[in-house]
Amino acid sequence: MREKSPRLIVTFHTTAGAIATEQLCRRLGLEGKLISVPRRITSDCGMAWSAPPELWEILETRLEEAGIETAGFYELLL
Amino acid sequence: MREKSWFREYGLILATGVAVGIAALVLTASGNPKNMGFCIACFLRDIAGALGLHSAANVQYIRPEIIGIVLGATAAALAAREFRAKAGSSPACRFVLGMFVMIGALVFLGCPLRMVIRLGGGDLTAVAGLVGFIAGILVGVVCLKKGFSLGRAYPVRMGEGFVLPGILVVLLALLLAVPALLKFSEAGPGSMRAFWGISLAAGLVVGVLAQRSRLCMAGGMRDALMLRDFRLLSGFLAIWVTVTIGNLVLGAYNLSALSQPIAHSQYLWSALGMALVGWGSILLGGCPLRQLILAGEGNGDSAVTVLGMTVGAAVSHNFGLAGAADSVAEDGTYVVGGIGTAGMAAVAIGFVVLLAITVTHLPKEEDASRG
Repeated sequence: MREKSPRLIVTFHTTAGAIATEQLCRRLGLEGKLISVPRRITSDCGMAWSAPPELWEILETRLEEAGIETAGFYELLL
Repeated sequence: MREKSWFREYGLILATGVAVGIAALVLTASGNPKNMGFCIACFLRDIAGALGLHSAANVQYIRPEIIGIVLGATAAALAAREFRAKAGSSPACRFVLGMFVMIGALVFLGCPLRMVIRLGGGDLTAVAGLVGFIAGILVGVVCLKKGFSLGRAYPVRMGEGFVLPGILVVLLALLLAVPALLKFSEAGPGSMRAFWGISLAAGLVVGVLAQRSRLCMAGGMRDALMLRDFRLLSGFLAIWVTVTIGNLVLGAYNLSALSQPIAHSQYLWSALGMALVGWGSILLGGCPLRQLILAGEGNGDSAVTVLGMTVGAAVSHNFGLAGAADSVAEDGTYVVGGIGTAGMAAVAIGFVVLLAITVTHLPKEEDASRG
């Protein structure tokens, strides 16, 4: 059983936003993965991007530059 | 610690699945048609009939289960401060998608939820539907990976979120206070119904739990395929296991592909009908049950989808698109049901429409190169 660790969770208004983020991060070599949006954030059942918390600022910048609209940034123990 | 974490991850969704399964068994034992304790497609079709939107005399009744599910979701969302009135995500396309999801479901004779309940009754004809449903979801997943999106929804006035729950409250009032305004089947599936209070209560329980757990068949498959996340899917496995055990205990389990209640053995068209449901549900972001829950949470786009499904049900019966169940003739001959040419054409048109909506909602080249 792996230990829980803090993760940066980025949520989106659309699934397309989450998938575009995955493609962008792969291209830029930024660590992270798609996950189902944690229930404690929202009752929506879409996808979110989970990344190390230290990538918060760079992700915020890169996503804005790429025109990918986000719904929120959260730090959670996952 | 391990057990606690596992319980937190899977406890609610499994409990929801078990509750839905038990509710389906109770409703069937109380009078609902066999293997149809719950069926979102069939029950919306019955509501369309009760309102006179179609004239198929055997499928007309205001199903309190639907009312309960939506109002249960509304109550749960309000209590948890998760009620969010929002809309504006391609409502017209969602209406059309809802119509074709319903047409596909009525070709198969059931929504994804009833598909699982049919499997839990031993109905092997539903396997064809499951295969088609998974295939449709795979197509939908490819569309998502290509960047398909109906666009985001925006916050709207609170009242917008209460439109569908409000309509359903009015229908409940009509059912209880002035039933003479409505149509009621005197034979066939629409005449088989549990006492309204039991139906409403079962719907409320399912609505509350499904809102809390996010139960969704299409979302479960999508998460399993795209994210290797099996939480949502485990809810439907719980329904299947519960209904199977319940039917075995009650002596209602019949493992066979013949003479199953309200089912037909035209396997290809069962599969294609459910492929339409699977693909459409992924484009919509949720199966018919999930659309009811989202509408209950204040999502106006899902409310439009539910209205589209209701119109789709009327279209299905007015134009003879829906499947007919297998039956046994008076001379004992087994009569294979299924759909006619019109139904086949409707499924084919459905695929063309879904493809058109997909293509027109993919990112433009400049978006793709930027994103």
